Amino acid sequence: MFDNLINKSAAKSPWLFHINAGSCNGCDIELVAVLTPRYDAERLGFRLAGTPRHADIVVVTGPLTAQIKDRVLRTIEQVPEPRCIVTMGSCPASGNVFKDGYTYAGPLSKYVDVDVDIAGCAAKPETVLEGLYQAAMILEQKRKDMKNKGGQI
Amino acid sequence: MMNYVEHFPALATMVLFLGAFLVTIFGGKNKTLRIFLAMAAATASFVMVLCVAKYVIIDGNIITYWLGNWTPVKDYAIGIGLEVDSLNAFFALLVTLTTYLSGWYSIKYMSRDEGGDYYYTLYLMLSGSVLGLVLTGDIFNMFVMIEIMTFACVALTAFRNWSKGALEAGFKYLVIGSLGSTCTLTGIALLYAQCHTLNMAQLSAMIAKVGITGNSTMILAFALLITGFGIKSYAVPFHFVAADAYMAAPASVSMLFSGMVNKAGVYGLIRVCYIILQTMGLGKVQTLLVAVGTVSMFVGVTMALNQHDFKRLLAFHSISQIGYVLTAIGLGTALGVAGGLYHAMNHTLFKGLLFLCAGAVYYATGRTNLNNMGGLAKKMPQTCIIFLIAAFSISGLPPFNGFVSKWMIYQAIYAKSAQSFGYLFVTVVALITSTLTLASFIKVTQSAFFGQSRPEFDDVKEVPGSMLLPMWVMAILCVFTGVAPKFVTEKLITPAVNAVMSVNKYIDTMMGAGYTEKITGSAATEISAEQITIGNWTPVMWLVLFGIVLVAFTVVAVFGKSSRGYTNNSKEQPDNKHATFFGGEMATRSTVVGSDLFWGFRHNFKGYFEKLEGIHSGVVNDYAVWAIGALAVFVMYLNAVL
Amino acid sequence: MFNPMWLFYILVFPGALFCFVAGTLLNGLDRKVYAKMQQRIGPPILQPFYDFMKLMGKETIIPYEANKTVFLGAPVVGFVALVTIMLLLPQFGFTAFGELNADMIVIIYLLTIPAASIIIGGAASGSPYAGVGISREMVSVISFELPLVMVLLAIGKKAGGDGVTFSMKAIADYQAANGAMICQWSMIPAALAMLLVVPCEVGCHPFDVAEAETEICEGPLVEYSGAPLGVFKLNYYVKQLVVSALFAALFLGGKGTGIVAADAAIFYGECLLVTFFSMTLIRATCARLKVEQVFKFYWTVVAGLALVSLVLAWFGL
Repeated sequence: MFDNLINKSAAKSPWLFHINAGSCNGCDIELVAVLTPRYDAERLGFRLAGTPRHADIVVVTGPLTAQIKDRVLRTIEQVPEPRCIVTMGSCPASGNVFKDGYTYAGPLSKYVDVDVDIAGCAAKPETVLEGLYQAAMILEQKRKDMKNKGGQI
Repeated sequence: MMNYVEHFPALATMVLFLGAFLVTIFGGKNKTLRIFLAMAAATASFVMVLCVAKYVIIDGNIITYWLGNWTPVKDYAIGIGLEVDSLNAFFALLVTLTTYLSGWYSIKYMSRDEGGDYYYTLYLMLSGSVLGLVLTGDIFNMFVMIEIMTFACVALTAFRNWSKGALEAGFKYLVIGSLGSTCTLTGIALLYAQCHTLNMAQLSAMIAKVGITGNSTMILAFALLITGFGIKSYAVPFHFVAADAYMAAPASVSMLFSGMVNKAGVYGLIRVCYIILQTMGLGKVQTLLVAVGTVSMFVGVTMALNQHDFKRLLAFHSISQIGYVLTAIGLGTALGVAGGLYHAMNHTLFKGLLFLCAGAVYYATGRTNLNNMGGLAKKMPQTCIIFLIAAFSISGLPPFNGFVSKWMIYQAIYAKSAQSFGYLFVTVVALITSTLTLASFIKVTQSAFFGQSRPEFDDVKEVPGSMLLPMWVMAILCVFTGVAPKFVTEKLITPAVNAVMSVNKYIDTMMGAGYTEKITGSAATEISAEQITIGNWTPVMWLVLFGIVLVAFTVVAVFGKSSRGYTNNSKEQPDNKHATFFGGEMATRSTVVGSDLFWGFRHNFKGYFEKLEGIHSGVVNDYAVWAIGALAVFVMYLNAVL
Repeated sequence: MFNPMWLFYILVFPGALFCFVAGTLLNGLDRKVYAKMQQRIGPPILQPFYDFMKLMGKETIIPYEANKTVFLGAPVVGFVALVTIMLLLPQFGFTAFGELNADMIVIIYLLTIPAASIIIGGAASGSPYAGVGISREMVSVISFELPLVMVLLAIGKKAGGDGVTFSMKAIADYQAANGAMICQWSMIPAALAMLLVVPCEVGCHPFDVAEAETEICEGPLVEYSGAPLGVFKLNYYVKQLVVSALFAALFLGGKGTGIVAADAAIFYGECLLVTFFSMTLIRATCARLKVEQVFKFYWTVVAGLALVSLVLAWFGL
């Protein structure tokens, strides 16, 4: 009875958890810019959560350095299902200028299934909003799939 | 024709002492025999007191029993008389219940200690003396019982003499306890010099005739008696020794201390103030008792916030809770006394329970330092649940029993504050104390039972059933007295309150009808004091309500439920998903130890806490000075105002 | 003895269902107004409802270190306590369980249960972040308890006439006879104090030291996910409603219209007003305090305001 409602709500209230995987801070401030009055992501229900346990969408910025790789993966694992993983900026997707560096351990898609890649160096707030919105739609789909698969939520 | 039940008060006391002697003689070698003897004595005395309680409290009789049949001659009581009215029976019930449950608990708990025969001997001596104290009608007999009690307490405090601080605590107890006994004895001697009798009923009548106001000998005696019983009830500023003693003694004995030894002090105060000297009608005496009670409340609880030893923390809470009781009985109103007695009973239940929990934790882990514990809830689930019940009871969360009695006490204090602004302050302190109590039990819960588990606790197991049984009994009693306050009040508390208020009836029953009228000129009537409340509390209906909402909610929760990932196998390493979140790091052991909690509160009260810690110096000389100083203040104050 | 109306009271109005609907709506409006104050569009008014439903559909992870029973049971107990308070608050002439005639002490203690449930639940999760969080939560409970008690005692004296009273019914009757409590000038400091107690009691922004998500990862809630977290979020919404309702019952009472539905509507409007002034406004304008600052603020400034009222009430003003 409530399933439909829950599926809809999954898209309407995605909470973000932001992980900085060695970013230059450019994407990080752009992510915060998305929450400011000008772009106001909260009108779509986005909210920054303080802990991975509360999150639906994990936003990873930065090239995934060797030092932080395990920590990022561990944190992602602690996010309850259904969850979406979003990479923000070019670094986590391609490595960008850090690609051949000895500290580089990426890309993130080598270790986990990434749902949305947001391009840009640094990503523009408009793109970020678009990407996050897509992730929210994917969340709804994931929630539906999970229910159909036999309740392993 | 005497009913056979009338022999029971004397017999119940005797059987405990008899048990003590038998354990000494026959229990030296054979462990089973010694436990059998001790438990037989405790059970017999418990059953007898139950019969007495039914006869006295439910049926409304008063038992008068002259030992050796030395009845009064020409209106002078020569022999030792036992008089059991509802008040005595109420306290006797508490005492024997505590003894009985402590006995069950001791069987396993003390099995690892050497010298079990000494333990059981002392345990029975202590129980017998406290029972004798609350049942006697003779003030010198009371003193004798206090002496036995004090020395049994000293020996039991130092029982684990191999452990750190036990001997020191025993010594402190010896000094302060003797001081208390001396005060009591001097007070009794002064009363005897004035009235030429030691029977409490007769004393009461004689003193009522001459009156205490302006009679400085009487006032001195009164001050001495208050000090003496104050020391026995560990009110501030006589409380210093309690912390050491409760901590050093085995948990089953700490339970006896908080469950009945300080109740004996409270009983003594009620007897002295309400019956013997009949001073509670005087506003100044009320002020004195309420002041002592309020200071005890606040000092006890703030000191408890600072402790990191499980049992020491509980000891300071005992002081704080006794503060509530003293404040309540110091109000001099029927509701106040009812609240005080109810709280005394609840304190016996929940504090005894908490000490047993502390003992269970010690039994399982060998530790009492809260900073070295953690995660015991998974290893000892039953102890954890019992502890939570007790902790919520003492913090006064509804629907547990602490709430009921605190509620009555607040009603009484606040009603009184319509007359004087000072009582308003007392109300505020009482309510804040309750919150602080919750705070310090949160601290225990967090540091001992919850939080991350320690690797060295991997093999810890739940304590055996014979220890859990008394704990469950007390936990159930805690809940029962919380949800059925009306029943408890009607059956148990109100008769006791009426007994406190009907002084003349007490005298007449003891000394023969018409005696009061002859001496004081006022007839003996039973007063059934009305307990006027200014609020309302009917928990049974609320429980129904609580239940319905809970059921409705669980239904929703169950239907909306999804499968859950959960590993509970302690040996295997947790997967990343179910590990504690550490900002991405591997889960490591890092707990917030008890001492660090609530620094936001402590930081603002730094000066106060520093001063308080300075006062609790640990030097017995200082403690004695405090006791004597308090006595001096009492004497001066009472002389000035009466 | 058993009245079938009770089931309606408990389950529908003003019990569980009303608390759920009104609480989420109240929070939604609160967030909307808050967004408007920052010149944002803000989330839809039903956003708290979506949040709750989403959390109900998420996976519940019970961490390895947690104590399962307590971890899952704590939020429900908090919710039950909040609903119970709502049942006992007089709304003008109407009180769901009027014959029980609740008193203020009971309400003070019931109000500590939701806080205690967060604390015990957080402690049971076994996380060190939760350890810090529960310590802060407890300190904030201690902080607001003193002014709250003093405010309630002042009102009890005022409503008690010659004597004193603890009864909520007596307070409602007094207001029905003499107009709202806030119109008595001697009670205005107490009303101000209570207005400041409300946000700390709820745990919303400048006083949310316990759940400071940027410092200690939501404190006691750090390990919660899925349905139990949803119930905790619901508790937060309902707490906003209940504490505002307590303010309304204490200070904004009166005769009412005599029609239960109209009274309830007016009462809910008052709750909205209180929420706006005590929570939204302060939340939008202040930065989070440190825990020792919270304590100091409540025990000096707010308690001082309450004391003024208490003394005035004592001298019959």
